[in-house]
Amino acid sequence: MTKEVIVEKINYFLVDEFEVEEEEIAPTANLKETLELDSLDFVDLVVAIEANFGVKLVGEDFVKVTTLQDFYDLIEEKLS
Amino acid sequence: MEEKKAPTKYALVTGGSRGIGRAVCIQLAKDLTYRILINYNSNEAAAKETLKGVEAVGGSGEIIQFDVVDGVAVAAKLDAWQENHKDDVIEVVVNNAGITKDGLFMWMQKEDWSNVINTSLNGFFNVTNHLIQKLLVNRYGRVINMVSVSGLKGTPGQTNYSAAKGAVIAATKALAQEVAKRKITVNAVAPGFIRSDMTAGLDEKGLKKMIPANRFGEAEEVAHIVSFLASEKSSYITGEVININGGIYS
Repeated sequence: MTKEVIVEKINYFLVDEFEVEEEEIAPTANLKETLELDSLDFVDLVVAIEANFGVKLVGEDFVKVTTLQDFYDLIEEKLS
Repeated sequence: MEEKKAPTKYALVTGGSRGIGRAVCIQLAKDLTYRILINYNSNEAAAKETLKGVEAVGGSGEIIQFDVVDGVAVAAKLDAWQENHKDDVIEVVVNNAGITKDGLFMWMQKEDWSNVINTSLNGFFNVTNHLIQKLLVNRYGRVINMVSVSGLKGTPGQTNYSAAKGAVIAATKALAQEVAKRKITVNAVAPGFIRSDMTAGLDEKGLKKMIPANRFGEAEEVAHIVSFLASEKSSYITGEVININGGIYS
């Protein structure tokens, strides 16, 4: 899966399932703030990632994630 | 396209083969629409008896073997179960499995301390931790922990059991606050002296004098409160410990 496809898929479910405004999506955007995620909402993110990419994330995976770009990179790394 | 069938909802009762656990299984089957997942560790015959009891009141269920102490086995068995019940969800978790190894603290062996902590406290972790993510995604759930008056007031001769149950009470309160937003309630039920295999060796005649109600309780009486907490009616009660002890500690 190319990076472009990963980014596209993630952006799609952020808009579709997490009700993020399309114009808010930018690589530098803060994941937690943009999505208005509280700690419990990460469960939904984990489920969405598993459904879309077939990889299971754990809590530690999110330690390094601040921006959306970090998140794209994390998924790319997990898929490689 | 194949129509997605509605998930069947289950209530899991650990240590459901005997005593309070069995009464809880039967009461849940009587009062609510859940299929009952009856966990047992060693006594399969007793678990099957419980299942018969569940069916006798018009309910349905299945039995599942695992030792709550063994985290790896708990995960493996529950995952295997889920694999065969893809669309189904365990919505109610009753952490009831427990053991006692009573003795004066000064004589207590490390093993008796650890075994009791492993079953009551770590058993709660092993089962609940494995299922909580699904409950969070489900956005509804009930966790009910069977504790004891010992965990609140302490009982001499039961430092191990009191410590384990006291710890589960604290975990109940903490977890309740973590997951309340997702409509998951976490409560504890603290029985006093209840007639069961666990209290069979006690001097009921002597002990009942110190119970205001002047008798031991019945497992069914405990099951009623568990059933209420497992129902939708209890939706605004969370992080609570409900005493059921005939007035012995209130």
